[in-house]
Amino acid sequence: MIRNDAGVHPNLSFDQAPPFGVPLRFLLTAPWFGVAAGLLLAWSGKSAVATRWSADALAVTHLLVAGYLLQAMSGALFQFVPVAAGGNVWRPRLVAAIVHPLFIVAAIVLAAGFLSFDGRLLRLAAGLFAPAVLILVSIVGMALLCTPARGATVMTLRLAVGGLAVTVALGVVLAEGLAGSHGWPLIAMTNVHAAWGLGGWALMLVLGVSYFVVPMFQLTPPYPASFARWASIALVGVLVVWTLQLSGAPPDWLPLVWLAGFAVAGAYAGLTLSLQQRRRRRVTDPTFLFFRGAMACLFVAFVSAGLMLLWPDLGQDPRAAWWLGVLVIAGGFVSLVNGMAYKIVPFLCWLHLQRLAGIGGIVPNMREMLTERAQKNQLRLHFVAVALLLAATFYPKAVVPGGVVFAVASAWLGWNLIGAARRYRVFKGRGFARVASQGS
Amino acid sequence: MPHVIDGREMVPPEPLEATLAALDGMSDDDELLLLLYCRPHPLFNILRGEGYVWSEELQADGTREVRIRKA
Repeated sequence: MIRNDAGVHPNLSFDQAPPFGVPLRFLLTAPWFGVAAGLLLAWSGKSAVATRWSADALAVTHLLVAGYLLQAMSGALFQFVPVAAGGNVWRPRLVAAIVHPLFIVAAIVLAAGFLSFDGRLLRLAAGLFAPAVLILVSIVGMALLCTPARGATVMTLRLAVGGLAVTVALGVVLAEGLAGSHGWPLIAMTNVHAAWGLGGWALMLVLGVSYFVVPMFQLTPPYPASFARWASIALVGVLVVWTLQLSGAPPDWLPLVWLAGFAVAGAYAGLTLSLQQRRRRRVTDPTFLFFRGAMACLFVAFVSAGLMLLWPDLGQDPRAAWWLGVLVIAGGFVSLVNGMAYKIVPFLCWLHLQRLAGIGGIVPNMREMLTERAQKNQLRLHFVAVALLLAATFYPKAVVPGGVVFAVASAWLGWNLIGAARRYRVFKGRGFARVASQGS
Repeated sequence: MPHVIDGREMVPPEPLEATLAALDGMSDDDELLLLLYCRPHPLFNILRGEGYVWSEELQADGTREVRIRKA
């Protein structure tokens, strides 16, 4: 009866967790792209709101999605795939050491390329992103394909990794197009690229992670099996049909496909809010509140998309893209990443210290690693920034304070996470001292 | 009569923190019963390195009973 458990479910083992520094380097880097994006927004002023095609808007968008989100989501993948999906990621320290700096440089060069509209920089950014993503997708994808684990989370993560590959492949082709190498339909390609990035990669990953972490960390009932099974398939279906616009003139029913993509996000958001209402214990920690805010933003984005379809004048207003972009990227995905970082980083700091100290060893608890007060104050500032950026749709001058507040909130997140890592290092030194003294 | 920690309504890593604290105060003959809705992999990893053994039993309502004692 009693045994040292080698694993009834060997596919789900913490033994395969990557070295602490692997997810940490990505998560500590991500917020500083938010700082850059916020400052650029404040500097560019109204031009970022006026049209999604402005150099400022393109640079800010890519600092957030190819900088902030890609960093954070890659770090989360390195941690999540081995621990929650049982995938054995090959040489995670080596892979992260290659991919992480490439992503940083590529995102900076990409933003510079948009700001200067220099095709050579865009081509260089593509040349940096392509091998980095190829490595990440190959290694993590192989881990996900080989894992004996089954279920909605694993399937959805596989699709998300595939979505990242499609996004970057389209991005590389777009960069070539903007550098003047071919005469392909760049607007349609941009729409398809954005849909795969936000839907096929970011939303897909968030779906897969949510199936696991929302019931576990927020003590909610599980997502219904039918939703977990079909949401990702529906999303892929929408994206494939949406991609068909590359093959010719866009059909009249294309806006319905666009709405269907938002409907998947809206269904996920509505369902998550409903599950949170039925949680077994009324815990309202910062991660829960970030999730709730993010779900509200995604749901409002879905409703807005529906209204834009009903009243085409609304949808054709250039500011519609700003409204939806702020809701989905800043309000939705950045909030989710922010909330998850507050769960992942202090937990890993605490867990690794606890392992070093052993049972009976004195290590600071999770709340001492990163106080809830610091997290909640940063949360408030983040959502003030989101509100200001949304207000900029109607009062474009609000983009300046909105950008500044977003930058400060991002810096605050970065500072909070660095603080947790610093506490880890301080106590790690003490832990080693304790072990050494016991051994002598 | 084992020590009991009902971690089913706790937010991770509260069950882990509570379990480690309880194990620290237990004698070698004591047994700890931990109730959860999931498999506590981080705990198993720590127990493995500290010379503990454990058994698991899944109940019909989804509760996982983990019994822990010194090897």
